Amino acid sequence: MKKLYVFLFIVIATTFSACFKDLDTVPLDPNLITSGTVFKNEAAYKQFLAKLYAGLAVSGQEGPAGAADISGIDEGFGQYLRGFWYHQQLTTDEALIGWNDQTIYDFHDLDWTPSDGFTFAFYSRIFYQISVCNEFLRETTDEKLNDRNVSAPVRAEIIDYRAEARFLRALSYWHALDVFRNVPFVTENDKVGAFFPNQIKAPELFNYIERELLDIENTIKAPRTNQYARADRAAVWTLLAKLYLNAETYTGQKKYNECLSVCEKVINAGYSLEPQYSHLFLADNHKSNEMIFPVAFDGNNTRTFGGMTFIIRAGIGGSINPLLSGVSGGWGGTRATRQFVEKFPADLTGVVVDFNVGANLSKIYVASTSNNFNGGDISSTLASKPGQNGTFEGYKYFNANDEFTLFRFPNSGKFGDNGADGTLESNGANIKVANAGLYFVRANLVNNTYILEKRDWSIVGSAVPGGEAPLVWNAELKMLRIITELNIGSLRLRANGNDMLTLGDPQLDGILNEGAGAINIAKSGGHDLIVDLARPDYTYQLKLTSFDKRGIFGTNGQVLDINTREDMGIFNNGYAVLKFKNVTSTGQLGSNADFPDTDFPMFRLADVYLMAAEAILRGANGSKATALGYSNTVRERAYTGTAGNITESELTLDFLLDERARELYWECHRRTDLVRFNKLTTGDYLWAWKGGVSQGQAVDPKYNIFPIPAADLSANPNLQQNPGYN
Amino acid sequence: MLNRHKVKTIINFTLIFIKNSHMHSFFTKVMKSFIIVMIFFAFTHVLSAQQVVSGVVTDAQTGEPLIGANIVSKEVPTSGTITELDGSFSYELAPGTKSLIISYTGYNQSEESINGRTTINVQLSAGQLLEDIIVVGYGTVKRDDVTGSVQAVSAKDFNRGAITSPQELLAGKVAGVAITTGGGPDDGAQIRIRGQSSLSASNDPLIVIDGIPVESGGVSGNRNPLNIINPNDIETMTVLKDASATAIYGSRASAGVILITTKKGSLGSKFSVGYTGNVSVGNASNRVDVLQTDEYRNLIESTYPEGHPSRGLLGSSNTDWQDEIYRSAFGQDHNVNLSGSLGAFPYRASLGYTSKEGLLLTDKFERYSAGINISPKLLDNTLQLNLGLKTMLSNNRFAERGAIGSALTWDPTQTPLDANSQYSGYTTWIDQSTGNPNGLAPANPVALLNLRDDRSEVVRYITNVSADYRFKFLPSLRANLNVGYDYSKGKGSLFIPGNNEVAFAFQQNFGGGVENNYEQERTNSVMEFYLNYKKDIKDHSFDLMGGYSWQKFFTDNSFRNSDVANTPAQTVERNNIQDELFLVSLFSRLNYGFKNRYLLTLSLRSDATSRFSPDARQGLFPSAAFAVKLVDNKNTYFNALKLRTGWGVTGQQSIGGSYVYQAIYQQSLPNAAYQFGNEFINTYRPNGYDANIKWEETTTYNVGLDYSIINNKLYGTLDLYQRNTIDLLNFIQVPAGTNLTNFINTNIGNMVNKGVELGLNFVPISNDKMTWDIGFNAAYNTNEITKLTATEDPTYIGVATGGIAGGVGSNIQIHSVGFAPASFFVFQQLYNETGKILEGQFADRNGDGVVDDGDKYRYENPAADVLMGITSNIKYQNIDFSFAGRANLGNYVYNNVSTDMGYLQRLYHPTNYLQNVHRDAVTNNISEQRNTIFSDHYVRDASFFRIDHITLGYSFDKLIGRFMRVYATVQNPFVITTYEGLDPELGNGIDNNIYPRPRTFVFGVSVDF
Repeated sequence: MKKLYVFLFIVIATTFSACFKDLDTVPLDPNLITSGTVFKNEAAYKQFLAKLYAGLAVSGQEGPAGAADISGIDEGFGQYLRGFWYHQQLTTDEALIGWNDQTIYDFHDLDWTPSDGFTFAFYSRIFYQISVCNEFLRETTDEKLNDRNVSAPVRAEIIDYRAEARFLRALSYWHALDVFRNVPFVTENDKVGAFFPNQIKAPELFNYIERELLDIENTIKAPRTNQYARADRAAVWTLLAKLYLNAETYTGQKKYNECLSVCEKVINAGYSLEPQYSHLFLADNHKSNEMIFPVAFDGNNTRTFGGMTFIIRAGIGGSINPLLSGVSGGWGGTRATRQFVEKFPADLTGVVVDFNVGANLSKIYVASTSNNFNGGDISSTLASKPGQNGTFEGYKYFNANDEFTLFRFPNSGKFGDNGADGTLESNGANIKVANAGLYFVRANLVNNTYILEKRDWSIVGSAVPGGEAPLVWNAELKMLRIITELNIGSLRLRANGNDMLTLGDPQLDGILNEGAGAINIAKSGGHDLIVDLARPDYTYQLKLTSFDKRGIFGTNGQVLDINTREDMGIFNNGYAVLKFKNVTSTGQLGSNADFPDTDFPMFRLADVYLMAAEAILRGANGSKATALGYSNTVRERAYTGTAGNITESELTLDFLLDERARELYWECHRRTDLVRFNKLTTGDYLWAWKGGVSQGQAVDPKYNIFPIPAADLSANPNLQQNPGYN
Repeated sequence: MLNRHKVKTIINFTLIFIKNSHMHSFFTKVMKSFIIVMIFFAFTHVLSAQQVVSGVVTDAQTGEPLIGANIVSKEVPTSGTITELDGSFSYELAPGTKSLIISYTGYNQSEESINGRTTINVQLSAGQLLEDIIVVGYGTVKRDDVTGSVQAVSAKDFNRGAITSPQELLAGKVAGVAITTGGGPDDGAQIRIRGQSSLSASNDPLIVIDGIPVESGGVSGNRNPLNIINPNDIETMTVLKDASATAIYGSRASAGVILITTKKGSLGSKFSVGYTGNVSVGNASNRVDVLQTDEYRNLIESTYPEGHPSRGLLGSSNTDWQDEIYRSAFGQDHNVNLSGSLGAFPYRASLGYTSKEGLLLTDKFERYSAGINISPKLLDNTLQLNLGLKTMLSNNRFAERGAIGSALTWDPTQTPLDANSQYSGYTTWIDQSTGNPNGLAPANPVALLNLRDDRSEVVRYITNVSADYRFKFLPSLRANLNVGYDYSKGKGSLFIPGNNEVAFAFQQNFGGGVENNYEQERTNSVMEFYLNYKKDIKDHSFDLMGGYSWQKFFTDNSFRNSDVANTPAQTVERNNIQDELFLVSLFSRLNYGFKNRYLLTLSLRSDATSRFSPDARQGLFPSAAFAVKLVDNKNTYFNALKLRTGWGVTGQQSIGGSYVYQAIYQQSLPNAAYQFGNEFINTYRPNGYDANIKWEETTTYNVGLDYSIINNKLYGTLDLYQRNTIDLLNFIQVPAGTNLTNFINTNIGNMVNKGVELGLNFVPISNDKMTWDIGFNAAYNTNEITKLTATEDPTYIGVATGGIAGGVGSNIQIHSVGFAPASFFVFQQLYNETGKILEGQFADRNGDGVVDDGDKYRYENPAADVLMGITSNIKYQNIDFSFAGRANLGNYVYNNVSTDMGYLQRLYHPTNYLQNVHRDAVTNNISEQRNTIFSDHYVRDASFFRIDHITLGYSFDKLIGRFMRVYATVQNPFVITTYEGLDPELGNGIDNNIYPRPRTFVFGVSVDF
């Protein structure tokens, strides 16, 4: 009996202890790997590094949302760049927002509190970045790599990775310094777990960031030699430049010589300004040689409800067409104040004469080789001028050996020309065109005749250098176009060199009439003339090519002023900012209409030129002529020419502040710039709704920085609140 | 008979088997356990050869089995047994026994002489008070001898009506148990026992079905995790409330335990067939108060001047959008059950079919259920086997509940259908700039319902086998093995055809529609074994139980989300996302009685879970209870009085996530990758974690009184309790920079619950012609958070919770120290002298001269202070009449429908569409939402009294079959409340477009053949 019980006890004990082993579980999901095994795959180091960068772009491990990195806030709101943008832009003249979300108005009102949820989210994001960078550095020490027997080539790469991780940590610490000043301080020497970090004061944090950056300067890859979107030496220099330029704000110490010196290193590193300003903010801006350090987005691979998705879509609403920005719809939130818009010359678009869509005309339809003989194609028509009953005309472009027929109504009975004799027959043969070109077609359906005549247009007159220049068919626009210098004087359009066949518009109303007077050209300089001859209200657009092309606003249906608090919620008040688009430089849509491909230019060359100029003006060892050269380099790109160049006497610090706004608006620089110029909180410069009133007012200088979030003050007893926020 | 050699062989085989087997397989464990038990059987049979008498004890009138009847040897009064759940007993005669005394509380005692019989079936006639056996954790106990706060509700007391799910049977029946069931067909319920004991972890009680603890979360595609059980198959539901009763379930018991026992066949009973069925029709009994067409038109015209774009948008129809989305909901329910006994094999089988429409168009639930139970006694009645199988197949079509809010919002001057609309013929607000549906405007609710095809099919079965063996050589010793397997699989699909407005709402860019599929499999395997030793020695009675439990939960998820065209860029697919969780426990309990007057219960459970780290995963959960029967006298006004005191510790470990203590790297999905050069890298993220996370611990003190007075006409219970929960799992921010995220679940926080519960049953009339019984219960409960942070910080305002509509990420509630959980955190509204709201003006409560976040205060909370329930059953000859009702007092509701829709700025949206407003916008003349959203004006007292059902029935004798009853029930006939919103009864206190609870008329019949 007793033996049996002993035996039973053993059996039961064995069973039980086996069952206790069940308790040592590890995740079964292949996407979840324990820290002990993840680095068995050496590719994991690069994947971990990618997370440090992705932390700036996405909100979690699923796009556009899901498995969030941080909590306590809507995931889209908690995205890094979006939080940064809120703090840097909504607080300034460049942007305000019309949403109802919690305390979001407080940004523009400059009256936020330590319990602000958005501020806590951004603060959490900064320290999230710092924490994961620290973890990366802890996991890639020589000791750990030795233990794991990491192969030599991967070890070599990890040296770069570590430098980049330290750059990213320095970047986030700089954001912390700029926005919060005195923050908790953790490095890779701290471990994950429950402890209370000490607070670091701004001057010491400044020194730490500087030291880190100088330390990695020679380790990190040389400028433009790293993979796209990864940081290199120029990114380190640019961050140093930003740190030095604002050193006086952070520490009271001037560092303008140091600033100029690193700026010049960047300027000489082989970057060049993107020739066309607008291309910097498009879906293919990763190709730009001006980009020093981007936050990369992709419609399919890098999706978020923050980042560029927010910047583009929140800026669209009212009657602004989202499709023109390459997105499916707008979120109707952000706009600019009048004071910002007025930093640009009144002429925002360079348009001298704009297209005139004219009246509704009755029309017939052209089915041809080019539209697959679609008699219902409403875009290919001839139209009848008022009083020309039965006669329809217009210019059509045909390729060589094209054929066409005419329809009175879409897909009704067709008219052709049997025997090519100039008379139209019902169901007649296709009319044939031998040579490619723009043809004048006029059909008379009263007596069934038609005219088909190739006409080559040019511009002639005193305004045209050399007296005559050809208009060229632009297949994309389906219009004639010429981009040329014009003198003060006049011009007309002339076909086939025949002075009896001219078009003009002395009224400058956008409608071209045969034999009418000339078009007056009032300004000399580059012009872009586009002529649309598709229907008899012949129209055209004449634009100056030399104007400040940086003011990219949506004005259609918008009014400039936001008069009441209620109006702030209605998108039509205030100009929309349409600088960023999910469209490529060749007009193609981005890969996804909800999530842009457009990268965010965190650091770019023009900023460095302007920082260098400012450093000189603030006392760095450089000549004012050099500063002027840097400024005008930026302005020549803006005007595509020297028309906007300024003189040495015009180059002042205030000019540079405005120039930075014009060049860099919505790129997360503005709050820092206004603080440096002491204009964020003071009465020196007011903008609409600054301080919560329509005409703007000064606010308490404590708003030059943000408070330490109340949530962290209660989580960490070592922290002290910033002055004025207690 | 086995000889020793054979036993040895078996043992050797077993050893080899154990050595070679893979320890992690569930079935291996089951096999091993079976082998252990088989060895027990084998060995004891070698040794034993005494005479055994078996039989069934039944009620003489009803034929129902009597559970827990005492069978005692007349000659050897210390030897005896009690009957099982099915009334059967098996008694190994003590030497010298000539006759048996069979007794049962409330019944007249009976004496049977043995005379060589081996089967003795006994019928007892009822005496005064019906008393019974109560199922508790790992065993049963006589109601008389209960030492903890335990309440059983049996079939005759259940709620009536068109009930599809067990929890509805229980609503209002037990003091301190609040059950809030949603309005949809077969909606799940929020069950709270004695209020809230956790903030972030689960507050759902542990549900144990026939001994199998089941998961609280259901499988994907299922509406309600409890719908596996056909309510008609339930015998009793027992609620264990205090820790002396629940601590035997250890780390899962903090929120209470509900034990569900299903009906079984009884030994020796005749074959019988029963049918119950009903048909029902439900209607929405209330509507949200939005403006009617003419009022709306007038308001637009008085708000906006001539020529304003809103004027041109007004339509010419008169549409009540709520009429358009709701309907009369029909339902039917049919059940057939068969029971009987084939020799020693009693059985019961049931088949059920339920179909129930929702009030919302297209919403439908359909269930087929089948259950079978066989409970034979073998090996000379020493082995009681129980084989149970419950299966369920449900088909669901889910209506888009967003249509509820959308219907309130839609401009009543528009018609639902528009022949000219290119969007499947539904009236649609168009974005002027793109010509596509306006993504910001609400989608047409009728389109939302009709164009979205969201279906699921759920299969589930629970099978359990239990063996209960009484040792031949030691009849006081019992071994019990219970093996269960709970399998469920849910799969579903969501299909939205492309290029309609609903598709645009989902995919704003091109309206490509949606084609989503998902599948989830869950299994829950249980193996439990215990030994029970029961012995009475003179005045002392001992009941000692010790056991072991092993449980594994496993989940496997797959999904694929895409558009109709299956565009690769729009497709996300993941397969076999798996998760497992193990629980291993040892448990024991001692019940000790002295002179049947002093009762002591001690229990101890040791739980270990794979959820926590090796250092933190083991926990001890002790309890102790003492009761004394102050009065136990059948013949006076004071019939019984028992005082109970109890103490115990329980835990809560249901915190979401199976690997919370581990440092884990999570790989990103392809759409959250990052670009390096020309490649996109899927990233690895180190997840935040708390390596020391462990369970919450609740210590409960309970004092109770069971009473029965006035010739047992009035009886019930009174309980006082306090629960102190420590190490509350709280999702709080970490000090910035110290973890790999900003919030983690960690054990910080304490909470105290206190309360009083009164249960009262009154039998005013009880005679041959008429019986009337009334049940009443009331409970008062308060919850207070006493600690929330690691460091003392009086400035810490708390953890925001309770997301609301109106601004992304807005929360209306807060967990704060010194207040009830989820207290409303609001501004104090100011009013003018006539009591009208002063829009946007709030009290400067902290007196700092500005009204800002610092002026918010905590105002009331959603939990009711007092819960009451009342049930009345009258039977007069063949007529029966019953009703049941509930009252909640002091529960507050935030009217989010009013704050989200009750402001005038909403009428016209700048992207050119119109919206209706809640009438409060006009009544209070509110223009902007930001002035309503955090105002305490919208936190309203939602105390209510609801009648759950009124039933009138008539019984026929031998009209059809043996017995037939027809009845009519009105479910949810009315609610008395001062709350102006749709319904005052809300689980979380936030009224935001809830699914209306139908008022349902039910006609039913039950027949026994």
